[in-house]
Amino acid sequence: MAGLVLKDVRKIYGDVTALQNIDLVFPSGKLTALLGPSGCGKTTLLRIIAGLDTPTRGSLSLNGDDITTLPANKRKFGMVFQSFALFPHLSVGENVAYSLSISGVEKSTRLKRAQELLDLVQMADFQDRRIGQLSGGQRQRVAIARALAQEPEVFLLDEPMSALDAQLRETMQVELRLLQQQLNITTIVVTHDQREAMTMADEIVVMSNGRSEQIGSPTDIYQRPETPFVASFIGKANFIDGIVRGGRIFVGDDAFDLEKPASFVDGAPVQLVCRPENVELCSVDETSPNKLTGSVSFVRDVGPTREVFVETNAGRVICEMPSSAGAFVAQGENTGVRLRSNSLLCFPGQAPAAAGKQTLASASHQENVAA
Amino acid sequence: MSDLATASYLAQADNETRLNKTLRPPFDVVHRFSAQSIIMTTIAAILLFVFLSPILLVVAVSFGEKIEGASWVWAFDPSNYARVFVGIGWPDEITLLYAYKLGYTLAYAVLGSLIAIAFAFPFTYFLSQCSRPVQAAWLVFILASLSMSEVFIVMGWDIMLSNRSGLPALFKATGVTEWLKETGWLAVLKDWGLANPRNVKFKTSQMATVLTMAYLVWPYAVILLYAPLSRIDRSMIEAARTMGAGSFTVMRTVIVPVVRIPVMGTLLLLFVYLLGAYVTVTYFAEPAHQTLPVSIYEAIRGATLNAPFGAAQAVVLLSTAGVFIFASLWLSRLAEKRGR
Repeated sequence: MAGLVLKDVRKIYGDVTALQNIDLVFPSGKLTALLGPSGCGKTTLLRIIAGLDTPTRGSLSLNGDDITTLPANKRKFGMVFQSFALFPHLSVGENVAYSLSISGVEKSTRLKRAQELLDLVQMADFQDRRIGQLSGGQRQRVAIARALAQEPEVFLLDEPMSALDAQLRETMQVELRLLQQQLNITTIVVTHDQREAMTMADEIVVMSNGRSEQIGSPTDIYQRPETPFVASFIGKANFIDGIVRGGRIFVGDDAFDLEKPASFVDGAPVQLVCRPENVELCSVDETSPNKLTGSVSFVRDVGPTREVFVETNAGRVICEMPSSAGAFVAQGENTGVRLRSNSLLCFPGQAPAAAGKQTLASASHQENVAA
Repeated sequence: MSDLATASYLAQADNETRLNKTLRPPFDVVHRFSAQSIIMTTIAAILLFVFLSPILLVVAVSFGEKIEGASWVWAFDPSNYARVFVGIGWPDEITLLYAYKLGYTLAYAVLGSLIAIAFAFPFTYFLSQCSRPVQAAWLVFILASLSMSEVFIVMGWDIMLSNRSGLPALFKATGVTEWLKETGWLAVLKDWGLANPRNVKFKTSQMATVLTMAYLVWPYAVILLYAPLSRIDRSMIEAARTMGAGSFTVMRTVIVPVVRIPVMGTLLLLFVYLLGAYVTVTYFAEPAHQTLPVSIYEAIRGATLNAPFGAAQAVVLLSTAGVFIFASLWLSRLAEKRGR
């Protein structure tokens, strides 16, 4: 099978399980982002892929060849570290040519190659500079050029933008993506920044507590999250607890209809999830499903959009609309909020203490996504 | 005064107070500054006196004149320096006795410090990779070993290398000596001055001198190298590995170059320390291979009692150390520039 394949990879440190049952395929020539909060195991997974750590169990193969026990210096996957890890005793050119130098490539050839790579990352005039004379963005470019010098089959980046300021980060995300597309190299990026992952990746692996929560394209991950964690980690979302009755979801006395009826047993607690941009303001008196009423607690304009915080009897619901939208509600005003049925997601909810037995029974039948 | 006038007066007074605070340095600042200057000047003067006056005195004494059968008198006689380099009979004859002593001093110090670094560097590197408790235990042990004086260490090595109770006796008892004889290695060791026809012999020898010197400064080397080696960015080592470097290549191309300046500093410090080694040399080096510090002691307090000549030797030793240090710094800077 083409690409990098991980089968049942686990990593255990003493009593701590850092990774559990990771099965992933990284397609050739694609950029995959490992996305998750701090401590979710994404860097551990990247280090295992690089050969810097060994898995406790499981296997890795590249283009069909088992590389599980192959040390890092034999795998030769190009890697960009969070701190860039450039060698301060070498010039920019020597840093880029390091892998060629230790593998015995002739000096003139390796310097030529270093110059080509520096041209590629727009650092052509910096070959003789010392590392201490470079800015953060320039160091990152040099680290990328250095990792690419050995023409690796897999290119790994461990939070490569974390040391850069916000503006430079945005620019570098685009540049890195264009470079990856130009070279058509299998690339894995570790990040905790969902915006970074959405900007660069062909595919995102959302990780939590050492597990892979969901794998999919950025659009899939955002619009069709498979777990409440993914929904909460990627973008903003409203979470509303309800109970299933007759194929409908009830939040108190308010009924909610999904595009496809929820396949939960009656009485099962569920959690409705709706992105703020899929919530509309409506009249308090309007009688329609998928509607809650409450009072406006806060309004904020965030450049092109406006966010309205509405305190309902089911909790806070945030509604996001274009700033140019005519409807304006003031703080303290009562209003209705309507959640679009075609974008409403339904997940198994927390069992209320009184209904615990029924909930546990129902949980075994349910499908976790009903939208 | 009306309320309005009172308010105006108070406001004016307040403004003046603010102005004064802004423009004039407060009295206590001036006071503190001058007190600080006095303390600093006094400390500097004491330090200069304490450090410079003995050196200046030794330099002055080195030009003094020895009175045969008596002490010495102040003079400006450069013959003491000539004697260090070309002997007392110069210009009629040249004797290199003290020049050789200087050579042995430098050779022992260079070899001792190089051997200490050669053993301390990998040890400290692997120590810096260990867990914190292991590192702490080792560092406490090494720091504790610094409390042993040169006399104590030399006594230990003296027993360990002595012919009757040390390693030679152990070699004989365990049959190693017989094996060395049978394989012809004893003859080789004899050629190297490390054996007699019956058994191995480590005392007196240059090897024993240099090894004891290296042992003497090894803990200092570990302590001095520990900080730079433990501060090395681990990701640099990992980056080198992902680029195809094996352990030895990582050590050669990343770790050693990154810490070359602290290593150079450590080497110079150990070298300067070993230039003054006295007890080790008197125990383990045969008289023909002894060093300038032994000769200095002999001249000042020992058999020869010639303070001006002892002082001249001390000044030569100090100057040589200075030349070595500046030459090393100059060479490392040159290497740095060429590297750029």
